[in-house]
Amino acid sequence: MSAFTTPQSATSTPESDPALVDAYRRGNERAAAELIERHIAALGRFLYSSGADRDEVDDLVQEAFFRAFRRLATWRGEASFRSWLFTIGGNLLRDQVRSRKGRRVLSLNDRDIPSASDPEADLAAGEAAERVRYGLTQLTRLQREVFLLRAQEGSEYGDIAVALGTTPGAARVHYHHAVKRLKELVR
Amino acid sequence: MSDCGWLSDRMPTVALGRAQWTEEEARHLSDCPSCRGEWELVQLSSHLGQGVAAELDPGSTTRAVFQRLERARQEDRLRRQSWTFAALAMAAAMAAVVWTGRPITRPVAPLAGPVVAASLLIPLPELDNLDPAELNTVLQTIDEPLLGGQTDSPGSGALDDDDLEGVLNIWEG
Repeated sequence: MSAFTTPQSATSTPESDPALVDAYRRGNERAAAELIERHIAALGRFLYSSGADRDEVDDLVQEAFFRAFRRLATWRGEASFRSWLFTIGGNLLRDQVRSRKGRRVLSLNDRDIPSASDPEADLAAGEAAERVRYGLTQLTRLQREVFLLRAQEGSEYGDIAVALGTTPGAARVHYHHAVKRLKELVR
Repeated sequence: MSDCGWLSDRMPTVALGRAQWTEEEARHLSDCPSCRGEWELVQLSSHLGQGVAAELDPGSTTRAVFQRLERARQEDRLRRQSWTFAALAMAAAMAAVVWTGRPITRPVAPLAGPVVAASLLIPLPELDNLDPAELNTVLQTIDEPLLGGQTDSPGSGALDDDDLEGVLNIWEG
């Protein structure tokens, strides 16, 4: 449950992202804390799925939020706050990969294996997930981000298009190319 | 839209638990290898990174982000103050130029008069041995006009009108 409420919304539904952003712009830091709490997990998953090392995710998440709040004036609400945040995170990850001269190394220790009662099923699921993650790193940035925004967020093509600076039709094409390529890579 | 296209669009929503397959969709999924392959990908991707996400601590991230934002604000303030001081200094310099009516120039070194005078001093050791009365006599002799002020050239006042006119004609050609 949200810790952030205003007198008007104390008994109503949680504040929307644009309302929280407005509140933060007016100087309410608790609104920023609520935005972080709301989006941190999704941003972490997005960065990890995009190829960030497990031990880099925390720093990347922090940097993405820092930059987002510094540049909040540039968010006009056309794309969702989360999509915009993912774009900032994607830029950070791209810069990091460039600084490592394009090397994207996925360590076996990076595996994100969910805890369950069946170790064999765990292992199989972990290996399959790792193949998908490796496949995602082989896609173009647009293909990867469109695919992840669809698969992890369920975002509509219109929202994805605004966030990534493309058209809904092009976003759909990128998604289908991503699926086709992933099928080949994961097979 | 084809069944495959329809199913593809519905996959993220179902994978995220926001909807369920209808019987017809489930039947298509089991009969279509292409859709099944896509469905497996979407399912795996939709849960990818959940363990990593669970390790993130919103509280510590919030504190770290706020600290950095505060530090950045302080740096911004300092930068603005530096620019303000620079602008004020520039304005003061401009005001000084306008006030004096001319650009500030470097002070010119005084002319080397005493140095020139000193360089014209001619040592005359003979004069040093004279007593004041003799020295006074010598100085008076130096100051007197040569030949009692008489020269070979007559003054213009000594010429009559004809002579004066002749001289003028010579000078003016």
